[in-house]
Amino acid sequence: MPYLSDIQHRRVIEPNGTEVAKLADLAVVPQGQFPAVQWAILATPEGERIVRWSELAQEIGHLRLRGRLSTIADAQLPQEALRLSRDLMDKQVVDTHGAKVVRVNDLQLSEVDGQLRLVGADVGLRGLLRRVGAEGLAERVVGFAGQKLPRGIIPWHLVEPLAAQDANVRVTVPRTKLALLHPADIADIVEEMTVDDRRAVFEQLDIETAAETLSEIEPEMQASIVSDLEQERAADILDEMAPDEAADLLQDLPEERREELVDLMEKDEAADVEELLSYPEDSAGGIMTTDFIALPAQLTAAAAIDKLRELQPDAELTYYLYVVDGQGRLDGVISLRDLVVAKPETPISEVMDRNVMKVDATSPKEEVASLIAKYNLLALPVVDARRKLLGTVTIDDVVDIMLPRGWKKRSLRSIAR
Amino acid sequence: MRRRRIALAAFLTVVGPGVITGFAGNEAGGVTTYSSVGALFGFSLLWLLLIASIGLGVIQEMCSRMGLVTGQGLSDLIRERFGVRWTVLAMIVLVIANGTNVVAEFAGIAASVELLGVPRIVSVPIAALAVWSLVVFFSYRFVERVLFVLVLAFLAYPISVFILRPDWPVVLSGFIPSIPTSPSALVFALALVGTTITPYLLFYMQASVVDKGVDRQAAAYARVDVFLGAALAGLFAFFIIVVTGSVLHPAGIRVTSAEAAAQALVPLAGARAGLLFAVGLCGASLLGAVIMPLSTSYAICEAFGWESGISKNFREAPVFMSLFTLLIVLGAIVVLIPGISLIPLIISAQIANGVLLPIVLVFILRLATDRRVMGDAVNGRTATVLGWGIAGIAGSLSIAYLVASFFA
Repeated sequence: MPYLSDIQHRRVIEPNGTEVAKLADLAVVPQGQFPAVQWAILATPEGERIVRWSELAQEIGHLRLRGRLSTIADAQLPQEALRLSRDLMDKQVVDTHGAKVVRVNDLQLSEVDGQLRLVGADVGLRGLLRRVGAEGLAERVVGFAGQKLPRGIIPWHLVEPLAAQDANVRVTVPRTKLALLHPADIADIVEEMTVDDRRAVFEQLDIETAAETLSEIEPEMQASIVSDLEQERAADILDEMAPDEAADLLQDLPEERREELVDLMEKDEAADVEELLSYPEDSAGGIMTTDFIALPAQLTAAAAIDKLRELQPDAELTYYLYVVDGQGRLDGVISLRDLVVAKPETPISEVMDRNVMKVDATSPKEEVASLIAKYNLLALPVVDARRKLLGTVTIDDVVDIMLPRGWKKRSLRSIAR
Repeated sequence: MRRRRIALAAFLTVVGPGVITGFAGNEAGGVTTYSSVGALFGFSLLWLLLIASIGLGVIQEMCSRMGLVTGQGLSDLIRERFGVRWTVLAMIVLVIANGTNVVAEFAGIAASVELLGVPRIVSVPIAALAVWSLVVFFSYRFVERVLFVLVLAFLAYPISVFILRPDWPVVLSGFIPSIPTSPSALVFALALVGTTITPYLLFYMQASVVDKGVDRQAAAYARVDVFLGAALAGLFAFFIIVVTGSVLHPAGIRVTSAEAAAQALVPLAGARAGLLFAVGLCGASLLGAVIMPLSTSYAICEAFGWESGISKNFREAPVFMSLFTLLIVLGAIVVLIPGISLIPLIISAQIANGVLLPIVLVFILRLATDRRVMGDAVNGRTATVLGWGIAGIAGSLSIAYLVASFFA
């Protein structure tokens, strides 16, 4: 199987054997699993010529044109065409299988049904060594030690190219493969991208995926991504995020920008976020979410289950169902299990656990974390001075306080500031 | 809470990557080289310092602009524009330059702590371990703050200038260029350029801009920040040379040890001069010892597409962690070679940086003048001419040095 580095710079000869050019580059349209090589870019003494790949025949050590170069028509590269050497070689691409950004050391080509196709990106050490002409030597050295040089090839259908690097034509490559990944994986990838690529990704993802991805990104970067996006789109994404995460993010933005975005958000979401923003960042109120389920105490078990059917809450909200009185004061807690096994006509106030662990909105977040850790809770309700239920702190909001410091993600960014 | 936020924001708008980098440039190598130059040649190389500082500003501005426009680090751009072979060359250059700098930083630590009576066999291993674990386990920002405070001890130089009341006409006459002809003047001229425009600073600068994600609309502001940083770095070097040139040069004291260098601060601090110098040098060296291995490992892994990140372990990011660890270990071991003298070691590192600088400058200039990379933000004529001028001066000094040492 040839590599691009093997055939690039090969001599191109005319039928009679005179050398007229060197092979400068190959071009494909990046569609399908393994795109076919359709064009060759030839470096002639007069400049670049683009010809169809079918005009060339591969022979040992060189490429032979099927006719005289002067008689061959110039081909045009369509807008979406990628030039392998210029646009892919040495550039960063996304390995969608390993969910990370890697650098292309070489490109693997293969003859499939008489058609040369781009089949993989070599991102391993072997590709690097081949480029400096040391693959054979390294292979012998490693072979001497009874080992084999590892291959690091990603099949092309798992590769997502990033934008073309030419500063003048920033082509936007549709990132269809990226959108299929888990938001947490997309977040890891996005963190390694350049600012432009990052913005392009967030412009293309659907709102829901964008919101989930944004939640998974490091806090400092979240703010800069939101600042780069168009206001309307940023507000849509914030609407979709959990209110506590949206509030944390907004907290990191300049005041003016924050107000603009909150104004553009939907009324309900905006009200939740504004309430959260009014608590100090390090308090229970500052880290809580206003998403929770509160059931009126007078409901029967059957009515409560009907209510849940109607609300269709997310799974993480159903761990604890809170019971409140007419003024919204927290009376007790009931688990989904207890609700289901209770007799349908029993009022939930009779099956609920009155002994509910709770914290005040002004409690420091370390205290919240230690309560959650100590009592093995998944979430802890937050109340005001009159015991009115305001929100809940879920375990994922305090995980980073409980983990040892070295676990926090750090990068060069923390050096630069 | 909110008030603190606003104060911090205001602080950050004043101090950008340019100023921080300018400050970080005054590590062990800088202080030692400037002291030696002042002691040996008085004020006569000030003209070269001026040129080097202007050069620093011009080149840093290009790096900052490249970071802004492309959102990529310098080694990223070198790899994408010039391919694997040139990247290998550039990275070898960077590893040698930064490796010698790490040695210089540990030599600085050893020298400063020896001033306080602690032998290097004790201080250097502790420092190496401390630097490694500080970076791996603690927040870099915290470490940086503490060390910046120590470096403030060097404010002693500008203050000394006011006490010493140097003969200004004589000082200013040093700005009249005089081509260094003696071999030792040539060596120190090269070290002076190498320590002012350290190759690592250029990579570090661009990485900072990329990471900070400076707003493109604020490009004009970023430029001011870069020039301010270069001016501060130059001014600081100027003060050291003026102080050592006024105190050490007339007395014929050569900077062969940290003790001798500290003599320059005697008029200000009297018997405490040693302590003052030791604190400053130790802080500056530690700062360098923290930044240098880290930024080298990032640059190399970036160029070859290897996993990097300090939160990853040896299995996740093997090259990054090994390189980072190896740089620290080797740096410390070289300093511990029995009988090696520290100050010449530091100066040699700056010479190595000076010799390698032109190679890095050519890469930068090729990139900054390339419309395909830079688009409309490509170098203007002034920047290009100044840039090649600096590269030319650095190149001639390197070649002259190599030729001279070949025939010596």
